[in-house]
Amino acid sequence: MCGILAVLGSHDYSPAKRARILELSRRLRHRGPDWSGLFVDEEAGCYLSHERLAIIDPTSGDQPLYNGSKNIVVAVNGEIYNHEALKKSMKEHDYHTHSDCEVIAHLYEDVGEEVVGMLDGMFSFVLVDLRDKSFIAARDPIGITPLYLGWGNDGAVYFASEMKALKDDCERFEIFPPGHIYSSKSGGLRRYFNPPWYSESIIPYTPYDPAVLRVAFEKAVIKRLMTDVPFGVLLSGGLDSSLVATVASRYLNDTEAANVWGAQLHTFSVGLKGSPDLRAAKEVADYLKTNHHEFTFTVQDGLDAISDVIYHTETYDVTTIRASTPMFLMTRKIKALGVKMVLSGEGSDEIFGGYLYFHKAPSKEELHKETLRKIKALYLYDCLRANKSTSAWGLEARVPFLDKDFMTVAMAIDPAEKMIRKDEGRIEKWIMRRAFDTPENPYLPKHILYRQKEQFSDGVGYSWIDGLKAHAAHQVTDRMLKHAKHMYPYNTPNTKEAYFYRMIFEKHFPQESARMTVPGGPSIACSTAAAIAWDKAWADNLDPSGRAALGVHDAAYHPDAPAAQSNHEKGISANNSFSSNPILGNVLKPQGVY
Amino acid sequence: MCGILAVLGSHDYSPTKRARILELSRRLRHRGPDWSGLFVDEQACCYLSHERLAIIDPTSGDQPLYNGNKSIVVAVNGEIYNHEALKKTMKKHDYHTQSDCEVIAHLYEEVGEDVVGMLDGMFSFVLVDLRDKSFIAARDPIGITPLYLGWGNDGGVYFASEMKALKDDCERFEVFPPGHLYSSKSGGLRRYFNPPWYSGTMIPNTPYDPTVLRTAFEKAVTKRLMTDVPFGVLLSGGLDSSLVAAVASRHLANSKAANVWGAQLHTFSVGLKGSPDLKAAKEVADYLKTKHHEFTFTVQDGLDAISDVIYYTETYDVTTIRASTPMFLMTRKIKALGVKMVLSGEGSDEIFGGYLYFHKAPNKEELHKETVRKIKALYLYDCLRANKSTSAWGLEARVPFLDQDFMNIAMAIDPAEKMIRKDEGRIEKWIMRRAFDTPENPFLPKHILYRQKEQFSDGVGYSWIDGLKAHAASQVTDRMLKHAKHVYPYNTPNTKEAYFYRMIFEKHFPQESARMTVPGGPSIACSTAAAIAWDKAWADNLDPSGRAALGVHDAAYSDVTPATTTTTTQSSHENVISANSFNNNNPLLGNILQPQGVQ
Repeated sequence: MCGILAVLGSHDYSPAKRARILELSRRLRHRGPDWSGLFVDEEAGCYLSHERLAIIDPTSGDQPLYNGSKNIVVAVNGEIYNHEALKKSMKEHDYHTHSDCEVIAHLYEDVGEEVVGMLDGMFSFVLVDLRDKSFIAARDPIGITPLYLGWGNDGAVYFASEMKALKDDCERFEIFPPGHIYSSKSGGLRRYFNPPWYSESIIPYTPYDPAVLRVAFEKAVIKRLMTDVPFGVLLSGGLDSSLVATVASRYLNDTEAANVWGAQLHTFSVGLKGSPDLRAAKEVADYLKTNHHEFTFTVQDGLDAISDVIYHTETYDVTTIRASTPMFLMTRKIKALGVKMVLSGEGSDEIFGGYLYFHKAPSKEELHKETLRKIKALYLYDCLRANKSTSAWGLEARVPFLDKDFMTVAMAIDPAEKMIRKDEGRIEKWIMRRAFDTPENPYLPKHILYRQKEQFSDGVGYSWIDGLKAHAAHQVTDRMLKHAKHMYPYNTPNTKEAYFYRMIFEKHFPQESARMTVPGGPSIACSTAAAIAWDKAWADNLDPSGRAALGVHDAAYHPDAPAAQSNHEKGISANNSFSSNPILGNVLKPQGVY
Repeated sequence: MCGILAVLGSHDYSPTKRARILELSRRLRHRGPDWSGLFVDEQACCYLSHERLAIIDPTSGDQPLYNGNKSIVVAVNGEIYNHEALKKTMKKHDYHTQSDCEVIAHLYEEVGEDVVGMLDGMFSFVLVDLRDKSFIAARDPIGITPLYLGWGNDGGVYFASEMKALKDDCERFEVFPPGHLYSSKSGGLRRYFNPPWYSGTMIPNTPYDPTVLRTAFEKAVTKRLMTDVPFGVLLSGGLDSSLVAAVASRHLANSKAANVWGAQLHTFSVGLKGSPDLKAAKEVADYLKTKHHEFTFTVQDGLDAISDVIYYTETYDVTTIRASTPMFLMTRKIKALGVKMVLSGEGSDEIFGGYLYFHKAPNKEELHKETVRKIKALYLYDCLRANKSTSAWGLEARVPFLDQDFMNIAMAIDPAEKMIRKDEGRIEKWIMRRAFDTPENPFLPKHILYRQKEQFSDGVGYSWIDGLKAHAASQVTDRMLKHAKHVYPYNTPNTKEAYFYRMIFEKHFPQESARMTVPGGPSIACSTAAAIAWDKAWADNLDPSGRAALGVHDAAYSDVTPATTTTTTQSSHENVISANSFNNNNPLLGNILQPQGVQ
């Protein structure tokens, strides 16, 4: 990942302003520790600043990047996986670097704003056209990479990868919505990403074909092996990360990366000593014969990191902070080994309805709509976590499940196939499991392929969440919690843990705009607000009985399963860390962005 | 390098205080990006925080480190090159890690405070003895690693690798003097480093033996090849860095590191496009067949980095900032390649009298005393630059010229051998050149071995200094400079460039204690104040005519050696200007060798 900061339409080009831009950009340097670049053009009214993490073409790909005649300038955070294919389909251009992102400037020269829909990858960029002094800014379809926009005290429009770079100089700022483009010509945001599956009113009906789904996923993984630096896979031992690891491991030999960095895949897992994830990951790593690295942390290590985690992730969402902390700690160790890029399994639970509450989906229509809502909210939760926890240390996370082509295939499948039917042996994400159940040349042993696993924050060890709660209880009194609604009328924390995170968040980000970027509202075990209607018991018992409600229902499926403990944790993590607020009914809308 | 922060004797062990310590320690994280460790003991009244750069034993050597039964705890920034030798001489201990620094805790268990004199390496550490609740803090003999001490608002004593970690929580703070030990038992600082050459009053008389000097330097380099991570050499193409590269390259094949990281040495050079250093370094790299990496930067890149450079180096010394900037920029690129450690050539000019003003040394006694003074001031200048410019990006710099054994040999040589005698063909640092002039198996081609070269900030390209001055002139008006003594009564800047750096420094470090850590006083071309007496013209013309004085004298030489005609004149021209950035208006500053406020 990289960090970008753009200021457009400012009328101040003094040395003091330049110094200020450098200072703000420096706050993004953890994202791109390898080099800085600042492009300034007084005529076009722009500052484009870039902090680079060099993954492709480390020696010459410093940014900003230009088209052939240097009248189009672009600062990009991201990876464009189809850059070579695009170059082949385009007319001849003079390329200055081997950076995959340079193609954006050249393609814009050919097709203008249409460029955004033609890119396959994850990206946030700001492009300035010096010919007519216009600019565009855009963010990838799902929001794998972060982007914020703000309106400066100096009258300019600001764009930044993280809000810490613009919070002090903007009167107001908000999240840049994924799949959107901001064009100075049309003067606002418009959605460019609009695939058939994006609309909630159409229920797809393509029959399930295991081979098609498998091949699509393999392609998604393989295209993410494009790198000039050492890389690995984050492996929790659950289905999703294990599938990523097995596919990466299988195809690594055929890649350019293997020639330079060796054909043995590196895998990484994190947990408290003896945690379920460490055991599960070890088993998968042994099976795949990867070069496996285990990192253990203590509850105290985690607690000491919380303030940094909140600073980097820029959220006070309870489940995000819980899950980000081990990832943040692990990332530091991964980076210390010299690894700059990892593949990670985010997105699968959203696409396939992998969360436990999907057991209660009343119909395939409801299930499909909920998966859509979950996917559309990814940029607020798991995408945010995966990107910012790793970028904190200059590590890039790539998420093959959120591949454009793969999603097109996976979201076109008749959602009846995604319904959980315990009686038929169809557990959650069954169609992915079945797709990789190839006995002649197995990707994973059957018991791993069909095993149910803890969610991230449980898997690292149950005492992690207990430790967090105990620590928060130590910091927040009953009285403080009781008056929380006066202190924090917006997204009022209703647990001591949530209150504790909020205090730290407000210290780092005291702005009204900052707290508005974080979602809230009722939820059961990571469900959207809408899915609460799936079970009357949930709606009646939002606080604190969501735990009991889900626990009971799940226990009915497997009364003897050890998973009961994990449900217990999930219930707690899910349960309404915020009191309900009518504005927040729909968590899918970024606050204040249309 | 790593970053350490210790707070001793505080009586606050609340979660808030812990959070504050973590926050302060975080300011040192650039030094040790790989892991953090915090040890707290309420009984012993201590916080020991460590930000780690993992060079030896990356997988298990997280700090703080302990002795066998964990009754002694130590947080260390540094490398102990003789850790294996020490372990062999010691009785049996249970080691928890493979870290070279762990030996400090075990050795303390055996010998107590004497541990400090037994370590061969660069280090700053704070050690707590939980048995009697005492502690010691120490810094290596020359001050290769930085250390500051402060007295906190909470009544605790603070130690930190960089002052940014203690400036806001200390009532007063200062530089921890090199070669000293702070002991809670004796309640103060004492100097533990006291080799024969240190006094400066005894003029040594060991005859010059090229082989002895060469062997000592080779040993100094080879012991610094101890690493579990990728490394390289900073190569400017001058004599010092070229010798380091030649020796490292020759001995790399026999080192453990070569098995893992390959036997081809990586070398790195930096400069503006087409600069003298880039050309000179390339020539050496080609000769040594190293894997050479060239980094070019623009004047604008450098200007944009100045504020960061001052924040990291914690100085407003003009020559230090000029030379730190290219090093800071290059380091970022080196680190981006995955390299975590480099060897660098600092210290040679001080030990051998390599600066141009040594041409005017009146006699061998004066020359020797000046070298001793220069060595003692290294921690304020080149050691500070080399350590902090690289640590800004989590790169460790090792300096073989400042090896203890090598210095003992080099500083015992009759200083008559170090006198520059152009008529005899003895240019500066001649005894090092001669020592490596081994025709049967040459380390370097003759013309490189005997070439005179620019100082760091000139070598990167002449327009760098010009660019800095032009930029400063656009930021500082004549009026501002005229009133400088009212704004900055201490170490008053007397050039616009110095004023410009000072403004930035004061923004990052507004404390009185902070500005007192930076040396000032009169100087000619990097000389100490005392050496100004060497030439009457210098003393009479400190500002700005020192330039002319040195320029003229050097020009007198330069007809002899064609290599110097253009380059040296320009370089001395630059040196002199940089030297005179402060008024000599403060009697306290007469002796720049004493850290301000530390006895």
